[in-house]
Amino acid sequence: MSKQFRAAISYAAIAVCSLLLAILLILLVGCDVGKAFYGFFNGILGSSYSVAEVFVKAAPLILAGLGVAVAFKSGFTNIGAEGQLYMGAVAFTATYVLCPGLPKAALLALGILAGFLAGGVWALIPGALKARFGISEVINTIMLNYIALGIVGILLQTALKDRAQYFPVSPTLDDGLGFSRLLKGTRLHSGILIALVCAVIVYFFIFKTSMGFRLRAVGMNPRACKCMGISVSAGLIVSSLLSGGLAGIAGVGEIAGLHHRLIGGISPSYGYLAIIVALLGGNHPLGVVIAATGIAALQVGALAMQRAANVPSAIASIIMGAVVLLILARKTLFKRLLREED
Amino acid sequence: METAIATITTFLAASVRMAAPLTIAGIGEACSERTGVINIGLEAIMLLGAFCGFMVTFWTASSGLGMLAGAGGGMLVALLHGVLSVKCRANQNIVGLALNFLVLGLTSFLFLKAFGQSTVLPTCATVPTRAIPLLSRLPILGKAIFNQNIFVYIMLILVVGVSALFYKTEWGVNMTAVGEHPRAADTAGLNVFRVRYMACALNGLLGGLAGTYVTLAQLGFFMEDVTAGKGYMALVAVILGRRDPLRIMLASLLIGFAEAMQFQLQTMGIPVPSQVFSTIPYVAAVFALLFSIGKSRDPAALGVPYERARR
Repeated sequence: MSKQFRAAISYAAIAVCSLLLAILLILLVGCDVGKAFYGFFNGILGSSYSVAEVFVKAAPLILAGLGVAVAFKSGFTNIGAEGQLYMGAVAFTATYVLCPGLPKAALLALGILAGFLAGGVWALIPGALKARFGISEVINTIMLNYIALGIVGILLQTALKDRAQYFPVSPTLDDGLGFSRLLKGTRLHSGILIALVCAVIVYFFIFKTSMGFRLRAVGMNPRACKCMGISVSAGLIVSSLLSGGLAGIAGVGEIAGLHHRLIGGISPSYGYLAIIVALLGGNHPLGVVIAATGIAALQVGALAMQRAANVPSAIASIIMGAVVLLILARKTLFKRLLREED
Repeated sequence: METAIATITTFLAASVRMAAPLTIAGIGEACSERTGVINIGLEAIMLLGAFCGFMVTFWTASSGLGMLAGAGGGMLVALLHGVLSVKCRANQNIVGLALNFLVLGLTSFLFLKAFGQSTVLPTCATVPTRAIPLLSRLPILGKAIFNQNIFVYIMLILVVGVSALFYKTEWGVNMTAVGEHPRAADTAGLNVFRVRYMACALNGLLGGLAGTYVTLAQLGFFMEDVTAGKGYMALVAVILGRRDPLRIMLASLLIGFAEAMQFQLQTMGIPVPSQVFSTIPYVAAVFALLFSIGKSRDPAALGVPYERARR
């Protein structure tokens, strides 16, 4: 048996385990398994609206997931995509609030740039602290998530508040200025196209440019980089900026394509899910796109299953956590199978 | 004057109460991190602790049993993290993150399974306040510290006890050795894996206990994501307190103070966005990390799995 084949078997075993876990959980609540699974798949593939809904959720996951993957490639553990996403959303909202009357193209170009920079700077803070002082980025990125949430809350009650509203929401983006609808009668917007374009750009940047090569080298062996004259600091700074920037664009998309105004809680943990997306996608852009679509489908399906068969949608969270743990434990669980015959 | 003292007393008492779960969980995390295992799944530990604590108290009407169950639940999560980090040598941060998802889903699922979709929240009695004789009659401090619920007293005992463990016993030295240089510790005959598993278990035990504070002392009921970021808050306390029990308690008091301040201002109707205060501890943590350069180092092997058979 070839090495790849053995690896494939181990992944298949993990998939079977997760499926069994799902069936067990469904049986635990006393539901009909067939009905639950029908509800799950019907909720994903049942109508053009539901299929579109998967891609509505996939767009931010792809962008933030790409960001996390770029960071992981250079050895920067970015747990802060959630905060970076919110900062991107804040920057886009500030752009259309502060510059009213801009034509659509100019507004979107300026807004995406602002979102990229805001998210990028939010990741650059822990990135620079790691590059310059060697401070661990893990805690810093988590802290900056909460600080970003705080900033959103403060701005929604002060500078960005819609004075005409009682609740803390920002002024609404004028009709026709946001991302275009791709399909009538669904919520699908051009954010998904931007996400796919970014995936292609990130692929070329990481695998086909010398900067990308240096970035990967920094992630693989910082000490060797120092000996070869590749700057570890520069690698970390570029990757953190790009990583946060991509998450920032995800935030822009949520405002420009979906909510059309800034409110608290625009992200149902997209930033944390993005880490799982990057891990499942093997930090490769194509893998990220597939993993993000899969996770989005899982979430949409689980909600539909709740409506159709009364199975709690918390099941999606359980399955995701379990799959990640199984993948992390894969090499130990399948030690015998994966052992080289030499 | 009288009212001012009364206000200060209530204020201090509230800060101390809010500091208790953060300190208890933070001390547990400090044990784990000293041996080199960083667990950002502290939120998951606390959440399962809060859940198990509530369920057992609800069924048995005994908050003592509930606290034990909560500690057990927390230990389960921490040991799962321990096995994956120590035996499977997985990325500890990702394990912690995955556990957060897993436990968040699991507790909501089991809670719905147990009680169904009802509009009435099932509740249990909260733990009573117990005054310590004599000490509770001290001015200001008596009310603030010695007229509290059992969690506050556990916090005080832990600060003294774990400080002694860290600085006065051989176990403490062993933990530091395993966290700083596992290879040397192994060569000296210490069982690196066992020390780490023990520290993980202790982390889970304390974290789970801290989780029960939320359901058994603060609220008296359980709901989805009931700990709402308290685990991350405890991580902040560990950073600010540089993994020292006493300093962790002081940092937790600071966070508790900021929280109490926020409630106070809201009840007084002062229009400051509540996030101004709730964000302060996080900003402080970032600066604490920045200013601790050179002063307090992380344990050298923090987050690094140990492999025996590798040079």
